[in-house]
Amino acid sequence: MVKIAVTGIGVVSPSGIGKRQLWANIKSGRSFIKNITRFDSSKYPSHIAGQIDDLEKYGMLSERLLKKIDAFSHMALIASEMSLQDAGIDIKKEDPNLVGIFLGNAIGGWLYAETELRDLYLEGREGVSPYMASAWFPAAPQGQVSIYYGIKGFSKTVVADRASSLMALGYARKILSKNKLNMILSGGMEAPVTPYALLCCNTYGGLSTNNEQPESAYRPFDRGKSGFVIGEGAGIVVLENVSRAKTRGANIQAVISGYGTTCDGVDRIKPAGDGKELARAIRMALNDAKVSPQEIDYISLDGLAVKIWDNSEALAIKEVFGTRAKEIPASCPKSMFGNLLGASGAVDLIITILAMEHSLIPPTLNLDNPDPDGLNYVANEAREHKINKALVISRGRGGINSAMVVEKGE
Amino acid sequence: MKEKIRNVISNLLKVKPEELKDDVSLQDSIGVDSTEMVETVIALEKTFSTKISPKEVTKFSTLNDIEKVISSKVKV
Repeated sequence: MVKIAVTGIGVVSPSGIGKRQLWANIKSGRSFIKNITRFDSSKYPSHIAGQIDDLEKYGMLSERLLKKIDAFSHMALIASEMSLQDAGIDIKKEDPNLVGIFLGNAIGGWLYAETELRDLYLEGREGVSPYMASAWFPAAPQGQVSIYYGIKGFSKTVVADRASSLMALGYARKILSKNKLNMILSGGMEAPVTPYALLCCNTYGGLSTNNEQPESAYRPFDRGKSGFVIGEGAGIVVLENVSRAKTRGANIQAVISGYGTTCDGVDRIKPAGDGKELARAIRMALNDAKVSPQEIDYISLDGLAVKIWDNSEALAIKEVFGTRAKEIPASCPKSMFGNLLGASGAVDLIITILAMEHSLIPPTLNLDNPDPDGLNYVANEAREHKINKALVISRGRGGINSAMVVEKGE
Repeated sequence: MKEKIRNVISNLLKVKPEELKDDVSLQDSIGVDSTEMVETVIALEKTFSTKISPKEVTKFSTLNDIEKVISSKVKV
């Protein structure tokens, strides 16, 4: 399939808003996982997260709009604006029919929804904001971004648990490669640090309850792993055909050259323990990119820090890369700011692109005793390394596997 | 009454009171959408302790129109 250029990056994360701030914090290996301060979460088994507390500072949005939308739409709008500016695109000069939006989200906008549900039970139906109907559902950010910029082209929101945004990026690339659109804003957003959403995440299981030591709680691929930690944020990139990007003199920061996705089909929560289907998704992505396993210089790990997930991920990598699995540097930077669920894959892609630009691999935090063995983990400190071709892995509940091959920009 | 209506809408929709003209439709002056109109009606019902029927809402266009409907139902 055709290679698609990434020409703009917008990111809102607990480790920083904007790619420069994010990169500065990521490369230095600082943790941004803290006790939740937004509401009293002390009775929840897990009450730590990667939070964003200063969203309003970056607001280009009116109060009139903000009262109608949930935090996840707010983050998506900020990330979209940043990515357009980074790409040097004046959206008013684009044909709106040929611009699309492909975003991923796992759980919807619960801060808005649960506040209004509370009002429903306390005040009756008249106590509920009429904006409730359009604020909470997973496709709301897509709608708000399209209204804000007047975007009218073919667009989609993908809901595939934690794999949502990488899958949205995969679909966006497919649509662009068919020349159906000129450009796409693609990525994902998630805002799970709310009372009800946190409760659901706790019920679902897999969260670390090491609340006493938030910064060292999320330990992917470490023997002392205790589960993952949630985080909130958005990652949105501008995608265009390489030829169009070259014609307009854009900075091609990376190209997406391959994508693959499969399902395990064994359990509603757990993945298959053998990693076979993840391995197939990785092979699909490599074949799609016409890249051999020998050419991959870096692997961005999904790293849920739950035994069956980390083990099956490592098994899949070993199956595809054979003895090279021990050589290719691999890391899971989300250990620093939390798992952004539906937005995690997009932010992983963004961090991988920044790692390529700076020839520096961001570390996995809290990785002291590798488990399982057999991968070349970049642990606790960033490592200098030239990256030309990288693999990003993103997985969702019940065994949704997605893998993307990304190459250094031209 | 008109000023009270103007204040309700301006506080609710976060727009300046002077943007709300007496004889220009809310749609033309501040681009009010259907959901905002629902919210406006609920707020006006609460403020003036009255009920506004869907049929009456269809007559809501300018501030003057809104005042006419509400004043017909509420003793000032």
